[in-house]
Amino acid sequence: MKILTKRAFALLILSVLLIIGLLVFTIKYINNASDWAQHPTNKHLFRNGQLQTTGKIYDRKGEILLQTVDGAQKYNNDATVRKAVMHAIGDSYGNVMTSAQVAFGEKLSGWDMVNGAYRFNAQRYKPGNDITLTLDSEVCVEAYKAMNRRKGTVGVYNYKTGEIICMVSTPTFDPENRPDVEGNPDRYEGVYINRLLSAAYTPGSVFKLITAEAAIDTIKDIDTRTYECAAEKLIDGNRITCPAAHGNMTFKQALAHSCNVTFAEITLEIGGATLQKYADKAGFNSSHKVNGISTSAGKVDVSNAKGGDLAWAGIGQYSNTANPLSFMTYVGAIGNDGIKVTPSIIKDSNVILSLLPDIVPEGDRIITQETAASLGAMMRNNTIEVYGEKNFKGLELCAKSGTAEVGGEKAPHAWFTGYMDRDDCPLAFVVVVENGGSGSRVAGSIAGKVLQKAVDRMSLD
Amino acid sequence: MVFAIESVKYYYGELVDLMEQAGAVIGIYLSNPLELSECYTFIVRWIFPVLAVLLFFRCTLPLLCDIGHNQIWGYLDTKNGYRIPLRHWENSIGRSRLSDIVINLPFISRSHAVLAYGENGWIVTDLGAKGGVEINGERLEKAGFVKSEDTVSFAGADFLFIPAEQGHESIELENKLSRIINSFGTVRYGKTFLMILIFQFLGGLQLYLASIGEGVSASIPMPFGLFMLAECIFYFFLSRFSRKHLELELLIFFLCGLSLFIVAAVYPSYLLKQSIAIILGMIVYTVIQIIIKDLGRGRKLKYILVFCALVLILLNLTIGESRFGAKNWINLGFITFQPMEFVKVAFVLAGTATLDKLLTARNLTAFIGFSGICIGALIIMRDLGTSVIFFTAFLVIAFMRSGDIRTIALISSGAALGAFAVVTFLPYVASRFQAWGNVWEYTDTIGYQQTRTMIAAASGGLLGVGGGKGYLVGIPAADTDLVFGMLCEEWGLIIALTAVLSIIFMSFLVLFLMKGCKSSFYAISACGAASIYIIQTALNVLGSLDILPLTGVTLPFLSNGGSSMVVCWALLAFIKAADERQRPAGEDADEINETEEQADWDEERAGSLR
Repeated sequence: MKILTKRAFALLILSVLLIIGLLVFTIKYINNASDWAQHPTNKHLFRNGQLQTTGKIYDRKGEILLQTVDGAQKYNNDATVRKAVMHAIGDSYGNVMTSAQVAFGEKLSGWDMVNGAYRFNAQRYKPGNDITLTLDSEVCVEAYKAMNRRKGTVGVYNYKTGEIICMVSTPTFDPENRPDVEGNPDRYEGVYINRLLSAAYTPGSVFKLITAEAAIDTIKDIDTRTYECAAEKLIDGNRITCPAAHGNMTFKQALAHSCNVTFAEITLEIGGATLQKYADKAGFNSSHKVNGISTSAGKVDVSNAKGGDLAWAGIGQYSNTANPLSFMTYVGAIGNDGIKVTPSIIKDSNVILSLLPDIVPEGDRIITQETAASLGAMMRNNTIEVYGEKNFKGLELCAKSGTAEVGGEKAPHAWFTGYMDRDDCPLAFVVVVENGGSGSRVAGSIAGKVLQKAVDRMSLD
Repeated sequence: MVFAIESVKYYYGELVDLMEQAGAVIGIYLSNPLELSECYTFIVRWIFPVLAVLLFFRCTLPLLCDIGHNQIWGYLDTKNGYRIPLRHWENSIGRSRLSDIVINLPFISRSHAVLAYGENGWIVTDLGAKGGVEINGERLEKAGFVKSEDTVSFAGADFLFIPAEQGHESIELENKLSRIINSFGTVRYGKTFLMILIFQFLGGLQLYLASIGEGVSASIPMPFGLFMLAECIFYFFLSRFSRKHLELELLIFFLCGLSLFIVAAVYPSYLLKQSIAIILGMIVYTVIQIIIKDLGRGRKLKYILVFCALVLILLNLTIGESRFGAKNWINLGFITFQPMEFVKVAFVLAGTATLDKLLTARNLTAFIGFSGICIGALIIMRDLGTSVIFFTAFLVIAFMRSGDIRTIALISSGAALGAFAVVTFLPYVASRFQAWGNVWEYTDTIGYQQTRTMIAAASGGLLGVGGGKGYLVGIPAADTDLVFGMLCEEWGLIIALTAVLSIIFMSFLVLFLMKGCKSSFYAISACGAASIYIIQTALNVLGSLDILPLTGVTLPFLSNGGSSMVVCWALLAFIKAADERQRPAGEDADEINETEEQADWDEERAGSLR
């Protein structure tokens, strides 16, 4: 019988294989069961393809943005609010991958590993599953209106606490009256993409902030130098141009007037390797996590660029791309003495807690304090000298505009980004209008309106 | 410091949240009218997994204890007074380390002879050894009977043969591990059985309450009652008339109960049929056990069943009906069944052989021929899942028979080529392979069943949503191919895994029993049966979860289906037959005639010693 006992190992192999299979399943279950359960065909959690949320989504002022009433999803009562926060909340069919409905679907659905989709007494609503967002729906509405049907994005966040106050992406639609998206590909181009989190645009002149930061750190006598701009300059056969000859000017003035020729020279002096280091530190080539939602990464690759390519890269063209949220975080860090605070979208909703003193979230220092201060002063100067203080009354605005050439016959992307140097309203912002034209004029006016609204609303907090 | 404040803040906040919510939750729960069924589920869904896990351990651990595992059927005495015990009905003798009785003398062959107990007494068979075998000085041609106190000599080494009349004496083999495991031998099976009844009663009630209002609840209590009554009778019968351990049957009771839970949720009207199939299974199980208790009858049964199997295959090929793409049903007007299920029993028996045959005739032609017929017929019927089961069982049995890894490898590679050809040329098989591993890309076409199974499994969580409250029931074959998903969704991952582990346990039990098997007939048939269970479980469970391609085979003891249920019980008889152990006697102390029986028992043992 010993011989058979030995030969029976074939059965042992089969059994062990089955056990391995079960282990594979168990591991897959632990990792993926939440995703499996969130599939729209799951009748426990979805009806007609709509998530039967067990919690409500509120904005920071307690406005209900999404709830489930009698088995159907109900968004805010105001159609404009619905459109303005559509990308933050998501549509009913999970098309916006970065939306709260998708990203926080597990919490909203009430699914958990132990109980699965079980609900006592068919009860769907669980207060514990409510989510309060940091968004202010009225600021979002203001931004949506200011965009005025143009494509692009507006983001505003508190650079001290990280709370995102405004997150608007256009084109958008009303999730309660879903239009024919497929039938109008032009009007609804990329409508399911939240441009603040998931887009990557050519940055244009706003990128000069990073070049400027590198210059302050590496070129000792930068403040005392003067540069000369004759409207154009040839570098290795590549022509760098300015709209007009800026003449003689200081570094500070060059940033205010966004002089391409001067910044091309500075870039060449700094060199590709150094610029790459500063771009990486500023958050390019890596993505952020906003409460677990991954943002797209911008891209800067100049370590091997030389001559004309490097010069173009230093003024935000070449192959550079920037993610709006990531850039907003960078300018927020300038406002916050060089410390970057990661943006968040979920607000701690507890009443008692808000009475306790706020503990500032830990951040990363990405800019030295001195450099941040001088960069900030230059950005403040931009507003006073070029963008016009009267357009941004009382905002203590520090900003930089960008007009990013996108090639072809298309109008350039308009960028405007910066922060408010006010302790009571520590807000950083970014505005991008696709093919919008002049950065400071088009995007700047949107930023002005939205920030004024945000300041009004903050005074109510 | 900051961290400390942060965490205090966090936990304080959580606490406040919890208290705020508690009030709201109670209010909200009471805003819907409370249903009895809801309240019931709310409580019992926590009880089921606990009971199931307890049952699993109470059923499996006692079966692994060593007590009564080493019976002795006779002795070979050497001249210098040394006694070699015969622990099996079939004992191989030789110089090889793998012989049951190792005689380490240079003139003994590696495999010298087999000393086996048959219908007419003990027979010694010469395995063609150079030195030969002599009985009382007479050289054996091939095989010959040995009687008590005969002198058997292997190549000149003399032994005095002494059979134990009743063959009951156990040697305590104890080491630390077995002592720990043996302590589980005292787990009271009566209590285990009671727990099973409670589990099934609570589960049946859950399904009954859940089905109120659907117009089908009336068909639930009767079959459950019938099944539980049958269990009680069978249990009574076993505890009175069988001296073996009962835990294996109890474990199967547990699985059969789960299968009724499934059927009650999917097709309540089939519940009675399933209960009857289980009862039939119990009867078949008992009958087969009685028949194969005697090796001679077992051998006859083998030929009869193989003949019946050939007839069934022929019938299937001629008058078979198609369902779900495979032509594997026979409709006799009053009953429909799957003949290939029954062929499994014959198949396992066909592979058996006693040790003397196994070691003398290494010829597998008949078995290979029969396997070829079965697998060929299955391919014609387009029942590829079942053909994989047969083929894998064939490999296991053929290897046990021949021990020849090269031949097996050759056959496997041939089969792999054949399978490749089949997969390439049959479009519907190819589509299953296309879906394999990518089911989430085909959620509404070829990955439909698998994705729904995974969604259901995830929806159940660890505890399940409650019997009769799942949505997988609406998916085709939920009660057969996707049974694991059903279990996960309605009864929770813990119970589903426990059920599958119960099946896997049977194969480990067989491996454990192997060394104490009386005859290779039992060893091979038990291994064959266990390998059928295992491969079927793997194809069913892992297939529905997209870890293997979905092939559409049943899960032993759990799927809805009469043929499958009866055959699973029949196969179980082979596993049970391999278990020779007596259960610890102390259990039945409360029975009146116990002391009397015990006295008989002691006398018997004394007799065997004499």
